[in-house]
Amino acid sequence: MITKKLRKDPLNLIIIGVAGQGNVLISQLVCQALAKEGYLVTFGQTYSSNQRGGSVNNYVRVSKEIQCSPIIPSGAADVILGMEPLDTLRMLAQYGNPKVITIVNPRPIDVAGRVSDYPDIHKLIETIKSLSAKTWIINATEEAEKLGDAILANMILTGSLVGSGILPLDEKTMVPLIQERFPNDFDINMAAFNKGVELYQAVA
Amino acid sequence: MVTKVKGAKELQDEVINTGLCTLCGACAGSCPYLVSYKGRMVLMDNCNLSEGQCYQYCPRTHIDMDAISREVFDVPYSEQQLGTFKEIFIARSADNHIRGKAQYGGTVTALISLAMKEGLIDRAILTQTSNDKTPEAVLAQNEKDVLQCTSSNYMACPVIEKFNKLPKEDNFKVGIVTTPCQGLALSKMKLHPPHNRFSIDNLKLVIGLFCTWALSTDQFHSFLMETLNIPLVKKFDIPPPPANTFDAYTSSGKISISLNQVRKYTMPTCAYCLDMTSEFADISIGAVEGIEGWNTVIVRTNTGAELISRAKQKGAIEIGALPPQNLAHLKEAALIKKKRGLGEIIKRTGDRNNLLYLGLSQQVADKLIS
Amino acid sequence: MPDIDIDAQGTTLLLMGNEAIARGALEAGVGFVAAYPGTPSSEILPAIAEVARQRGIYAEWSVNEIVAIEAATAASLAGIRAMSPMKQNGTQVALDFLGNLAQRGVGAGLVLVTVDDPGSHNSSNEQDTRHVAKWLDIPMLEPGDFQEAKDMTRWAFDLSEEVDIICMLRAVSKISHTRGNVKLGDLPTRQYKASFPYDGAGRVGGRQRMWGIPHDVQHKKLAIAREKYETSPFNRYVGPDKPELLIITSGATWLYSQEAVRTVGLEKRVGILKLGTIWPLPEKLVTEHLDKSLEVLFVEEIDPFIEGSVMELAASQVPGKPQHTFYGKRSGHINAYGELSPDDVIKALNKIMGINYQARDPAYLKKVEAIPREYAVNRGGALCPGCPHRASFWNIRTALKLDGRGGFATGDIGCYTQGLLPGGFSVVKTLYCMGGSAGIATGFGKLGQFGFKQPVLAVCGDSTFFHATIPALINGIFNNSNFTLVVLDNTATAMTGFQPHPGTGRTAMGEPARAIKIEDICRSLGVPVEVCDPFKFKETTETLLKMMAIDKGTRVVVMKRECELIRGRRESPPYKVTVSPDLCLGDDCGCDRLCTRIFLCPGLRWNKETGKSEIDPILCTGCGVCVDICPQGAIKREVL
Repeated sequence: MITKKLRKDPLNLIIIGVAGQGNVLISQLVCQALAKEGYLVTFGQTYSSNQRGGSVNNYVRVSKEIQCSPIIPSGAADVILGMEPLDTLRMLAQYGNPKVITIVNPRPIDVAGRVSDYPDIHKLIETIKSLSAKTWIINATEEAEKLGDAILANMILTGSLVGSGILPLDEKTMVPLIQERFPNDFDINMAAFNKGVELYQAVA
Repeated sequence: MVTKVKGAKELQDEVINTGLCTLCGACAGSCPYLVSYKGRMVLMDNCNLSEGQCYQYCPRTHIDMDAISREVFDVPYSEQQLGTFKEIFIARSADNHIRGKAQYGGTVTALISLAMKEGLIDRAILTQTSNDKTPEAVLAQNEKDVLQCTSSNYMACPVIEKFNKLPKEDNFKVGIVTTPCQGLALSKMKLHPPHNRFSIDNLKLVIGLFCTWALSTDQFHSFLMETLNIPLVKKFDIPPPPANTFDAYTSSGKISISLNQVRKYTMPTCAYCLDMTSEFADISIGAVEGIEGWNTVIVRTNTGAELISRAKQKGAIEIGALPPQNLAHLKEAALIKKKRGLGEIIKRTGDRNNLLYLGLSQQVADKLIS
Repeated sequence: MPDIDIDAQGTTLLLMGNEAIARGALEAGVGFVAAYPGTPSSEILPAIAEVARQRGIYAEWSVNEIVAIEAATAASLAGIRAMSPMKQNGTQVALDFLGNLAQRGVGAGLVLVTVDDPGSHNSSNEQDTRHVAKWLDIPMLEPGDFQEAKDMTRWAFDLSEEVDIICMLRAVSKISHTRGNVKLGDLPTRQYKASFPYDGAGRVGGRQRMWGIPHDVQHKKLAIAREKYETSPFNRYVGPDKPELLIITSGATWLYSQEAVRTVGLEKRVGILKLGTIWPLPEKLVTEHLDKSLEVLFVEEIDPFIEGSVMELAASQVPGKPQHTFYGKRSGHINAYGELSPDDVIKALNKIMGINYQARDPAYLKKVEAIPREYAVNRGGALCPGCPHRASFWNIRTALKLDGRGGFATGDIGCYTQGLLPGGFSVVKTLYCMGGSAGIATGFGKLGQFGFKQPVLAVCGDSTFFHATIPALINGIFNNSNFTLVVLDNTATAMTGFQPHPGTGRTAMGEPARAIKIEDICRSLGVPVEVCDPFKFKETTETLLKMMAIDKGTRVVVMKRECELIRGRRESPPYKVTVSPDLCLGDDCGCDRLCTRIFLCPGLRWNKETGKSEIDPILCTGCGVCVDICPQGAIKREVL
């Protein structure tokens, strides 16, 4: 039943965002698709100790043979999809390695609780690039706002992730899942997904 | 002696929490961090600024006395018992109605009302005694409002907070009735005009009251609540010596409380005050010993002189001469307060050269301390 | 995610551990499920409630965990298979009943699901509930993955009936909240006819049940369970016949152990014994594996539970047998607290097996270490933009400061626990358990005779009020304790996911319920009660000051405003809020960034370049409350 080859087994993917950005949706869609393709998928989550305004880490592990642990060992991420730059950098610091591929939405979210001030965004992006084998910058929030709602950033990033071919998935697999998830809002979500694919192709 | 301007935290550590606070209100009303509440200055949250206007205008942080004296009078600060002045006499309101409501001669009320009527000021910040007999700063807009504020209740009231709260963008002319410490704070504000606040240039008239000490509002009010039936009290009075009482007048008569008992509630900061006659006002007004129903009036600035001149012209006040022995006695009492105040300061700092908040020239300090 | 009652035996779904547990219960024909929300267990009941009606199941959100397990027990006694899931703190709440229940036996199968939170990511404390099984003498199982979560739950009902005792299934966050592949079993339909077969004194269903049962009856039951455990498929060994090191593990740490061994490439030298049947310990099975190797490493969360039981077993072995070297929490090879990860097991393997596995490329690590410190910003949580609790805490902070007697708030469990933090202006100074705020306040309120003068405000939420606060409130009234109860009524059990409670007007199964008003209950107790809208700062602060000034007896203030997340889903924002840069003083004297430094609503942010505050248009919910805190009137709101 497995149609595309898994480039590494297990493949370790981190999808990180701030509570409220909806990164869980990306993970759920992608995991569902992978399970349908016959893979063993483990999708784990960590919330920072205060959920409201905190970071939400999603760990997605894909394997043909093993039901992996929900926690990825240090330095073992293959792909990091970051909805927010500061959190993306945090994931690289803990899970990054010379081969890691990073997809980042460069839209800063100020730190709620003001423990300290937000760093300079350009320096942050440069640091992210220096810690990744490949970095793809996808202006998901910006494009989502153009489509009418910032929350669509998560669908756009789903499109970029699938469009990149890193996962053994293609766009065709995703359509019925998106249909099922958004029976009443299929068109706008599909448009966001397609936009994500387009954005990836523009930077690849 | 430290002369640097610091911030809210230091103000709390050096003044508010050490018994030095006069409750003048100069630190409050223009930011969210310092507010007055029931006779206390409350620091609501930490302000992180290392320098703040709250510290700058406080009458218990460093004051360059020469500088403020030059600002208000164009002359340096001297050791004169009654401060810088042009004239001193006795006066009372020519209006029976005002005299009926007043503490002594009603001169303060008469002058404020006249200033308003003549357009010298648009509003006045005065102290009103509220129903529970605590003092409240109010913004009087007309004569009717002014007449609500005729009595003394001897407790400290943060009137400058009211001034600070006036809308930044407004430009109406304001008059204010203050105690000596409040006059000091306003002088500091005139010397270094505040920013982000209602303009100090709009302050057109300061009438200062004579003051030996003020009572701590929260503690004294609790004492009054236990001792008297507050709602029945119509007026408070501390008659001049030799009477040693704090009197409360009700409709059925007068209740006298021994002044010794009441003195316990004096604000600790009053011990360090050198000013009995509100030396930094346009006009200073107090009682007259031995002459009931009249006020002692000290005219200090051109503004003050103009107002008195207008008042005479319009027949708003009646004027008389201050008897020589009253003048002598007043000077003596004022000097005693200066010497006592300095003595207490030196006792507190333990150092003749550290006069706490007072920036005096060596000359003046020597004369007063000897 | 699909409903879990798909009748599709053999299909594989990606289920979260909690959903798998729910599916397991369905496959066992469960008829009655009662719970109280508690992360990480909260998803179990709703997964069942979603399909309850069509499957003829009754699912209930109870007011607290002890009532939940009591209700489930009634069903069991009447012949209906029943289950009660809860978090570790809930199990602690239920202990008095559980201790008695352990002795009484069951009717139909009865399963307690307890989910622990290693590392207390979502709890006020860290606790290992496996000890409860040992303490109460009840059998306990722990799933090692998502398939087992389903299969074990299903089996637990059979075990409960076969042994005639309540069965405990213990999971942890990383099993409960992680999704993995689960192959579905069949879904039998059961026809239930409930009846409670009581007969003679203390007898039910022909047996002595309710009293006069010696303790050793439980021990005998455990022995039966132990026998079944010896051959259970939930205990598995993977590795060489004679491993150099034997890892004994259970639960999520089994996954971490497997990952660790695989990552460092020691599959041929290290064997892993995974236990799924944890208490009573299957002694024959464990002894058999202990004979494989003299070096044993225990990997488990949270406490050295299996470690202790196995070491007890080893110590009781025939003398003369070779001595094992045990590694684990006692020896310091594995953390004695907190959540573990594959890295922790790798660290232990490095030490024990004398290898030097480096997880990180050294050159890469150098780059990581060079990251400027200010990039390692901690994203602390905050109350949501528009949250009424922020406004309630603002009122409390103002009132406490103005009151000036050194008063404080006591805290409780919910979103409003954040009253401890700067986001809640740190007005809350104590935090214990559900109902703790009122309980501890009744104590403080009696310290007047010892010179205590500080006003006390006990803060609790609406769900907490029904769960545990009422007895403490009545205690305060009865004993004339001096404090004010402040109920933050946002008509939601928000922290755990908006589950219904007695004040919300509907049940777990979506039926309408009479919404009980908290202020009505308090008024009926004959004490001063005020209801305020926390968004109205002036009135609410004055009300608090007034209540604090009463300074005797117990008083109640209900701060009532709906949770913003609920309101926001239903309605559009009431205002468009903007900051006027001309009026904003920013960090100048007169403001010093009150809104972005002290008020801390995420909808407001500080623009370092312009030196002004501004509204974050994506995060701001348009509640307009910040307009009233700006000292310069720079924040404006426009009705939409």
